[in-house]
This record gives sequence, C-alpha cells and structure tokens, in this order.
Amino acid sequence: MVGAFEFAPAIALLPLAAFVVALVFGNGMPKKGAYAGILATAGSLLLSLWMLATVAGGEVYNEPLYDWAIGDEITFHFGILIDPLSALMLVIVSLVALLVHIFSLGYMNAEGETGLPRYYAELGLFTFSMLAFVLADNLLMAFMFFELVGLCSYLLIGFWFRTRSAPSAAKKAFLVTRFGDYFFLIGVVAIGATFGTLTFAGDASFVNEAQSAIDAGETFHGFGAETWVTILGLLVLGGVIGKSAQFPLHTWLPDAMEGPTTVSALIHAATMVAAGVYLVARMFGFYALSPTALAIIAFVGGFTALFAATMGVVKDDIKQVLAYSTISQYGYMMLGLGVGGYVAGVFHLMNHAFFKALLFLGAGAVIILMHHEQDMWKMGGLKDKAPVTYYTFLAGALALAGIVPFSGFWSKDEILYDAIILGLEEPIFLVAYSMGLLAVFFTGFYTFRMVFLTFHGKPRSEAARDPHPVGMNVKIPLIVLGVLALLAGVVNLAPVGKIAGMDIMFLEYWLDGQYTEGMTGLTYSEYSDTAGLDTTYIAGSQTITLLIAGALALGLALAGAIVAHVLYNVPEPVPHTENLGAAREVLRSNYYQDEVQVWIAQGLAMPTARMADRFDQSVIDGVVNGVSSVSLFGSGGMKRLQTGVVTNYAALIVLGFIALVVGLGVYGGWFV
Amino acid sequence: MTVGIEYYVLLSAALFCIGLFGVLTRRNALMFLMSVEIMLNAANINLIAFAFYHGNLSGQVFALFTMALAAAEVAVGLGIILVLYRNFRDVDVTVPSAMRW
Repeated sequence: MVGAFEFAPAIALLPLAAFVVALVFGNGMPKKGAYAGILATAGSLLLSLWMLATVAGGEVYNEPLYDWAIGDEITFHFGILIDPLSALMLVIVSLVALLVHIFSLGYMNAEGETGLPRYYAELGLFTFSMLAFVLADNLLMAFMFFELVGLCSYLLIGFWFRTRSAPSAAKKAFLVTRFGDYFFLIGVVAIGATFGTLTFAGDASFVNEAQSAIDAGETFHGFGAETWVTILGLLVLGGVIGKSAQFPLHTWLPDAMEGPTTVSALIHAATMVAAGVYLVARMFGFYALSPTALAIIAFVGGFTALFAATMGVVKDDIKQVLAYSTISQYGYMMLGLGVGGYVAGVFHLMNHAFFKALLFLGAGAVIILMHHEQDMWKMGGLKDKAPVTYYTFLAGALALAGIVPFSGFWSKDEILYDAIILGLEEPIFLVAYSMGLLAVFFTGFYTFRMVFLTFHGKPRSEAARDPHPVGMNVKIPLIVLGVLALLAGVVNLAPVGKIAGMDIMFLEYWLDGQYTEGMTGLTYSEYSDTAGLDTTYIAGSQTITLLIAGALALGLALAGAIVAHVLYNVPEPVPHTENLGAAREVLRSNYYQDEVQVWIAQGLAMPTARMADRFDQSVIDGVVNGVSSVSLFGSGGMKRLQTGVVTNYAALIVLGFIALVVGLGVYGGWFV
Repeated sequence: MTVGIEYYVLLSAALFCIGLFGVLTRRNALMFLMSVEIMLNAANINLIAFAFYHGNLSGQVFALFTMALAAAEVAVGLGIILVLYRNFRDVDVTVPSAMRW
C-alpha cells in the first residue's frame, strides 16, 4: 500500500536536506541558503498536513523502518509512529519552523549578518531533529533526537560566538540540559533492561509490559512493580525537566536569549523546550501507571509556573520577560499533564507554540524597529509607528495572559479546571492548583507591563522616535501567528461545550482517537482509566465548577493586566520595582538560582572531583606504576643474559637441558 | 658375533660430547658447523643401534631422514658463514654480537 504514510520519513528528511544544501552551497545561493530552508519546511508542513488529514481519515501508522542493532533480548530500531498526537505536533513544529525561516529573511539577512549559511544549516538541522523526535516510535530513537535537539540549540544559542556572553550561554544550556539528559539516559537503559522493549505503542510496548507487570504484582530489584515504574518515570522526567526548563534546571533558558531572537522563537515555541513536554505526553500511558510520578509532575509544573512568573515581573529586557513566561507556561503544561489533563496539556502546548512564536517574532520585530535595542525602558510609543507589530503582539500578549477569547485562555483554563477538580478530591493537589492560579495574576501583570512599556506611552529614546521599518517577510509570519493566537482556541472550547452541551471539544475527540480506528493504548480515555484519578465538582455541579474556575483565572489575569495598566500605561512610566524593596533584589537575581548552582559546582562537585583525582593519581596510578616499574627493573637485569654471542646461547641451552634432566631426575626419583 | 648395545651408546655419547665441546669452545664458524654435524651423527648412531636392537627398521629410516636434513642444514649453515664472512671479514662467531638488547 502506497499511502500518505510512505512519505512520513520525508517530513524529517527535507529539513536535513536543507541542512546539507545550506551548509555546502549556502554561500553561493541567493539569501545564503534561506530559500532551501523555506522550501524544505514548507514541504514538511504540507506533508504534515497530509498526515493530519490521513489520521483524521481514520488511520494510524506505527512501523519500524530499520533495525540497527539486533540482540537476543532486545532490538534497537528506527521507526515511525504517527497517531493524533504526533500528527498534531508535526504540523505545529513544521509551521513554526517555516514561519521562523521566513522571518529570518527580515531579521538576519536584512541586517547583513555574517555566517548566514551556518545559521540556516543549523536551523534546518534543528527542525530535522525535532521532527524526527516527534516521529520516533521508540524511546531510544526519541532520546537520540532529543540529544540532537540539544546540540542544535547549543549551536544556535552560540551563533554569535565572537561575543563574550553567547558562547557561555550556549555552554550553560548544553551542560544544564545534559545534566537532566543523563537521568533520561539511565531511564532509557533501565526501561529497556526491565521490559525488553522501548517502543511507545503497540502490543509489545513498554507501557503494556509495565501495565501487565503491575497487574501480575512482579517485583524488580526488590521494588514493587509500581514503585519501579515510578522510579523509571522519574528518571526519564529528569530529561524533561532539563529540556522543558522546569525548576530546578530552568536556569539555562533565560541565558539562551543570547541567541538570535528567531532562534529563541523556535526553541521556545516548537522545538527544544516543547520536546520535554511532548515526551511526557508521548509516554503518558506510562506515567499514568504511577500516581506518584504524576503528582511530582504536577507539583514541579505548578511550582515552576509561579516561580518563573514572579521573576518575569522585574525584568527590563523584553526577551528576558518572554523567557520567564516560557518557563512559566511550560510549568502550566506540566501541571496539566500531572493532574491527568492530557488534553489540556497538549492543548496548551499547541496554543503556546503559536502565541509564544508570535511573541518572540514580535519581539524580534520590535528589536528591528529599535535598531537592536532590547531594554524596554528605552522603547515606548511604538504603537502608532508599527501597527501590524503592535496588534499582532497584543494578540499574543492577550493569549499569554489568558484573556478570553484568545487561545491561551481556553487551554490555561482547562488546565486549572482539571487541577481544581482533582484537588477537590485529593486536597494536596489544591496546593499545585493554587500555585498555578496565583501565577495567572503575575502572568497578566508582566505581560501587560511588557506591552505597555514597549508600545504605549511616549518614546523614550532616539530609536523609538524614529524606528527602522520592517518588511513583509516580518509581517506575514506575525499576521499568520496572530490569527492563530486568536482563533486556535476554537479547537477545544471545553467550558462552552460542557455548559451548553455542544459537541465542540474537537481536540479532546481527536486525542481520544475518536476519528481513528484501531488505535489502542494511546487515547485520552484509556490514559484516564489507567490513571484512575477521581474528581469532584464544587457543589456537585460541573457547570458551577467550570464557571468558578474560569472566572477565577480570568479575573486574576485581568487584575494583573489592570495593575500593569495603572502602573505602566502612562506617558512617562517610571520603574516601580524599587517599591518591592528587598524582594526586588531577590527577584532580579532570580532567587540566586545561578549562585546556588555555581556553589554546587564549585563547592561540592569540585572538591569531590579533586578527591577522586587524588585517589586516582595516588592509589590507582601508584599500583599501575608500581607494577610496571617492578617489571621494568626485573627485565633490566634479565636482558643481560642475552649477549648476542652464539656460543653463550649454546652453553645456556646445554646448561638448561642439564638442569631440566636433573630436575626431572630428582622429581622422578632416579637418585633414590 | 654381535656387539652389545651399550658400546653403541657409549660411542654415541662420546661423539656427542666431542661435538658439544666443539660447539662450546670453538670460535671458528666452520669448526662450529662440523661440531654440530658430529652431534647429529651421534644421534644417528643411537637411532640405528636401537633400531637394530629392537629389530625394526623405522630407526634406520629416520637416520636416512636425519642425513638428508643434515645436508640441508649444512647448505644453510655454509650460506650463513659466507654472509658472515662478507660482512665481518672473519668467520669468528663471537664477533657478530649486535643481535641483543
């Protein structure tokens, strides 16, 4: 059968081809290889849409392509899994990648950057890795491309490697995420060793094996099956926390702003950071087996959402504000997944991809307007001079803050709703919920502080009075994403659907496999059955709970926006952060997270490493060197036997023979 | 009239010791080679004597093989001595002593 799925590998391979073309021929091509990337990602987008349509037509695809290591117990292979989740993600990734490529024409080419072929090649490789990661049908393949995504982000964050800060930011991103990936790697090995398979889906998936192990009450290494699944899940979660910038491994992400803004858009919206949350969604069936792991995911997410949002409040650099908002929003997704809201988490992942890409590209446009100035205190008044940028950015901001009817509201509301109905049943989740809820206020505040400082008021610098114009290749991606940020919510208007009794929760049906046949083990309802989380409604009514949750979230978001309006939407805004007193310093220093990590590295890791080094140098090397010097000394004496004179050898042979005969004689008892 | 086996063994041992003495004391490579030949022939005498003593022929056949081998060995040995002479203008076996540590 030659169907749509035969072309699935091409989705990932097209950007890889663009990578090769841009790298080899980039210098001789018009726009330095940009067109290769645009064509390739456009091709990927079309193919992804085709996949989406095919999946919508009721087919799923789960095929191994190539076995690269075959063993007795386990076989490693590359394969492709296209189900509703990955088809959706493919479209998101390729769409954002395409728009980022187009935007780069205005952001990078027009600025006369050097090294553009390298830039486009790395973008292509980045897109390839992420798409292949999304397509992966087994955990090991996912891990490989997870690592490749990390490598590409390292390369792109350090794109301006001649500056002082970019290479160090790139190294930090690489090392911090690698720290998490280390646990992921152990998790992959442990899962493979425990269940003998690494595939995500199908009858022989590790999820099924884990399920039957728990049902059969097996024990692994002295742990009960469920405890062991929790341990494995948490190991893999290490990689997720690193990549998706969750506390305490989020510190790399704000520094990653050293890369070009287009790269930030790609990293934050669709590739690097999204990879972590996507992985949790991909193996959600596995996490659903372990309530402990889910609770930890929820708490990490809720805490990160609040923690990052408070730091975003005091930042002056427009990209820094967006960076903290990304951490915070991924915290929401983790919270949503952790409380069993698989649909809500994926929904927010999708919406966030659109509005965060929009905001970053908008920030990129602002940076072009401002002649490469990123300090919001030097902006102001750009509203009238750049209306397209303003309105699209505003759409993104409204979505980020979660104001109805923009997309972010629907998904964030659904996450918080899922959290509260679980929290009412198990009060401990109310803590995670309240952290998420509180973060809504801060989100509204910092988002609109950013909007007002950037676009409203009077221009506060020469550049803001006379902005550099932006071209169509900047505006088109902004408009596309602006429309998506406004409208993407319609795919899952859960509160409206539930209250009005309409069947309009398309994304939920989509992820529940209601449009596809023969899909088992990967659907929302099966995940929910596995997790078996009980929920309760306020006053026993779903409608009232929905309304209260929605009103709380919206009210807090609006309250944040209004506070920002009062404080900053004035012609001559002044910094109010001084009023925070001591808290300001703590917030500006990011809760001294970097210092703590540096202390861990220098105060704990370094002495340990030194002790290990000393042990290695003295004991291990001492033994090795001792053995070799004994042997050297001994052979130095022995070699004198070899004189080079034939007669001596003959004498030695004779003497040796006599000694042998005498020895044998004594041993054999001749002389007795 | 047959000679006792012990006389053959004594003759062979004497020849072998003469050869051994030559190998250990002579410095001339030609004498060296001759001494080796004497030792080989001592072994041959033993082979034939015991073959005669036991009344089977394999020992004698082996003696023939040994002679052929000795001929080949002499050819190689003489070749070595020629090369030795060409390189060192001498056939003293103690002179070339570079093949060592």
